[in-house]
Amino acid sequence: MPNTKLHLNCRGESCIRPKLLGEHKVRPYDKILRLMANWYKKPSRWRQNLTYLGVPGVFLILTVFVLVTPALAHRVLVFAYAQGDTIHTESKFVPHTPVRQGEVQVLEQKTGKVLLTGKTDAQGKFSFKIPPEAAARKMDLKIVVEAGMGHRGEWLLKADGYLAGVKPEKAVPASAVPAAPPAGMGAKPGADDRQMLEEALNQALERQLAPVKEMLAQLTVHRTSLPDIIGGLGYILGIFGLWAYCQSRRKKDS
Amino acid sequence: MHISEGVLSPSVLLAGAGLAAVGTAIGLKKLDYEAIPRVAILSAAFFVASLIHVPVGPVGLHLVLNGLMGLLLGWPAVPAILVALFLQALLFQFGGLTVLGVNTVVMAAPAVLCFYAYRGLLRRPGTPGAVGAFACGSTAILLSGLLVAAALITTGQAFIQVAELVLLAHIPVIVMEGVITLFIFLFLKKVRPEMLEGLYA
Repeated sequence: MPNTKLHLNCRGESCIRPKLLGEHKVRPYDKILRLMANWYKKPSRWRQNLTYLGVPGVFLILTVFVLVTPALAHRVLVFAYAQGDTIHTESKFVPHTPVRQGEVQVLEQKTGKVLLTGKTDAQGKFSFKIPPEAAARKMDLKIVVEAGMGHRGEWLLKADGYLAGVKPEKAVPASAVPAAPPAGMGAKPGADDRQMLEEALNQALERQLAPVKEMLAQLTVHRTSLPDIIGGLGYILGIFGLWAYCQSRRKKDS
Repeated sequence: MHISEGVLSPSVLLAGAGLAAVGTAIGLKKLDYEAIPRVAILSAAFFVASLIHVPVGPVGLHLVLNGLMGLLLGWPAVPAILVALFLQALLFQFGGLTVLGVNTVVMAAPAVLCFYAYRGLLRRPGTPGAVGAFACGSTAILLSGLLVAAALITTGQAFIQVAELVLLAHIPVIVMEGVITLFIFLFLKKVRPEMLEGLYA
């Protein structure tokens, strides 16, 4: 007990001395700590003020680290696009760690019925053929990726978005396979050319647009920015400041 | 460490919210007027710590610092963590508003538990105190990992499997948190012993 008594009362240089704190053995990190403590306790005005800031000083330094490494492997970003009759999905932890072995579920947006499931590969990719029922009923597809340990991301793929590439080759055979195509082709040879041209155009466009779509997906992701961090710190101080204010009022009243 | 929105069932979410509310009430009751600035500062530290990336190990992870919160605050760690998580959900989209309760329990319960578990050790000067600080920092995050695994059982994932994954992934963070907590504890003990006296007199 005498130890605690001692540093309860002391305010000056003496309480840095490890002896008074009951630490008689010299530990390897003692020197570093003493250096830090000495620097802290040097009788300079602004350093004294800094002492009162205590822990926040340490964490301000840590905050600087944040700015150096903006990486955060936390939110799962799922991105899906159609190419022909296949839908490609890519999942990653923001900003760029792929989700390996993540469980992919493709659901119908409206009913929540699971259409198919799968697993992502080492690049976080998973591709599947558009299910015929989805194409026939123009479902909006919800793609959910479970990345383990409670991490999860989803992406909504609208019917218009993925059916554009399917229509010419799939919708026509589905509706009028036996009769229409021969009749149509016999009557107007131009229609066939146009269809082929459209198909080729669609494919070329998809190829060209894929990177643009990916970039768009990247842009929709909210990346943590400096204003977010500073704003958050401000809110925290504000909230606790408010609490302190309420408490001080209560204290005055009583 | 943050569980995403839409993973857990409503009953788990409700239970988490209830527990978090009770914890917050107790925390606010135990929060002295003089301690408010300290709680605010540590809440801010927790808020930023999640952005500090630990680039070791198979999965990218971040600091949590809940052991440190427990060590320096005790019960008031619950409201501090709740506020920080709320702002993380709003500003960083970590976790989410519906999972706020569960996430608070996952991170704050080990903090409070470790505070009580290691109080005896931390009171003692010298090496036992230092060991206590390290253990407090590392055990808290370990327990948090186990709680995440426990919360995920209800989604049908096998507990052992998830727990193993979480523990393996967190080994570097467990060590780092222990070291950070140890250093901050020793530093405060030398520079601002008054800060620890209220809790470990």
